[in-house]
Amino acid sequence: MNAALYAEILKLRRSKLPWTTLLAITIGVAAGGLFMFISLHPDAARDLGLLGAKAQLATLEPTWDSYLGLLAQISAVGGIGIFGMLMVWVFGREFAEHTAKDLLALPTSRTAIVLAKFTVAAGWCFLLTGYLIVAGLGVGWWLGIPGPAGSGVIGAGVARVVITAALTIALTALFGLAASAGRGYLPAIGTLFVVLFTAQIVAALGYGQWFPFSVPALHAGITGSGQPAPAVAGYLGVAAVTVISVAATAWWWLHADHTR
Amino acid sequence: MTSDASTDTPAARFRDLAKHYGDVRAVDGISLEVKAGEIYALLGLNGAGKTTAIRTLLGMIKPSAGSVELFGQTVSPQAATVWSRVGFLVETPASYPELTVAENLKVMARLKRLPANTIETAIAQLGLQSYARRRARDLSLGNQQRLGLAKALLGQPQLLVLDEPANGLDPAGVNEIRQLLKTLAAQGTAILLSSHILAEVARLATRIGIIHRGKLITEMTAEDLHEKVARRLEIRTRDQDSAAWILRQAGHQPHTTSDGAITVEGAQALEFPDQIATLLVDAGCPPLHLAVHTEDLETLFLRLTGQEVPA
Repeated sequence: MNAALYAEILKLRRSKLPWTTLLAITIGVAAGGLFMFISLHPDAARDLGLLGAKAQLATLEPTWDSYLGLLAQISAVGGIGIFGMLMVWVFGREFAEHTAKDLLALPTSRTAIVLAKFTVAAGWCFLLTGYLIVAGLGVGWWLGIPGPAGSGVIGAGVARVVITAALTIALTALFGLAASAGRGYLPAIGTLFVVLFTAQIVAALGYGQWFPFSVPALHAGITGSGQPAPAVAGYLGVAAVTVISVAATAWWWLHADHTR
Repeated sequence: MTSDASTDTPAARFRDLAKHYGDVRAVDGISLEVKAGEIYALLGLNGAGKTTAIRTLLGMIKPSAGSVELFGQTVSPQAATVWSRVGFLVETPASYPELTVAENLKVMARLKRLPANTIETAIAQLGLQSYARRRARDLSLGNQQRLGLAKALLGQPQLLVLDEPANGLDPAGVNEIRQLLKTLAAQGTAILLSSHILAEVARLATRIGIIHRGKLITEMTAEDLHEKVARRLEIRTRDQDSAAWILRQAGHQPHTTSDGAITVEGAQALEFPDQIATLLVDAGCPPLHLAVHTEDLETLFLRLTGQEVPA
């Protein structure tokens, strides 16, 4: 699988994706910092025109716990978009650029190529998560968020971001399957939008704790304290979506008729 | 390069291969084989089934019936040892646009588990030295084709499968690739190529299979191809009716074409047109025009595939 990993890493490095995804995460961190600044200094924010007269930011407390929760929410909702698009690109580009056919009759197995794609995409997503955490903490300290920075609050908050990101990254395997079976970007992007909408709707209906695609957002606490934490079945659902998506993608590359 | 030539095992073999998509028979019972040192051309119109047959050979499509073999092994996507002996270019050449020519080849060499020095060899073979550091997206169509061929030639595989290898190349490039493929075949490489350009195939292939509507309708050597080309003696005189009567009396079977010319297709007339001229002169109907016409290859192809032949 080393050859396939080498190929995927080189393709990703040479593309614009690392920079665009890094920029997207940076915007996310900046947005989180802005909200925290407003929460910390609401009067100054009003004076600067950052806050409308009727704006309410009651749910965002000026604490590390609240701020790290916000970063976890960014990794859940923004993550589906950013990590998802990365996964769509890694698989979809082979069909959009007609290079998939060159990967089908090689000494490196198709399964190794599929696994390398998932590994490299997931690896970059985890690096982005690391950047989100480091940059987010830096912004937090720079803003002077009150509270004991060395306490378990930050450790727990970071763990929440990491687990939320891991859950989100795991779910994006579905987009690798959609881009493969759909032979391009569009079916996978369509799937991504369906996932985003259904996750919101199912969570709003109160069933999110069991619905795999709502689990990362609920784990991040995005819907407020009134919502229950994800059920064990919800976490198992995320694992099932991941395993089935990866296996189905490998099966599709191995057994489908590749006519394009 | 090891070879199976000594064992006479074909590099590629189709056995009653069929591929159906519902009622559409994309490939319908093709049997053929390609041996070491041979250049086998699958010739057919667009949509005849050439690419489907090639994709099936490369394990990209599962046969509906029959089988395909590479070096005596039934093709399957998992046959890793077989794929290291095969180079291919299917349909349009594709490459990663953001990678340079050398990087595209490096990716393919790694996936083919070939040493790095094979990249330079392939670059030199295809004349891509001055483009090695250029991004693939900036290449001309002809150079993209060269890059596709270079990927196929990496490591000098024992079997080359090339779908329309001359696509996008200028005349000099076509000639260059033709010479390269002939050299590789002389060194023992088996080459299966597809084309819809009969004139090119006639110059390159040692054996030709004509595929039409999924069926292999005829198979011939390059020499057979020239024998199958129809020839006719075309005659024009001031009195065509009298000339036709004179020829008929002499035992020939003249036909009159739509533009009024008389044609004779008998072997004697074609071999000895001077005797026809003497016959007509002696009968007082001297020829104004007497010429042996050879059917062009495109017309031959249309005739063999049952297409309408233009007058």
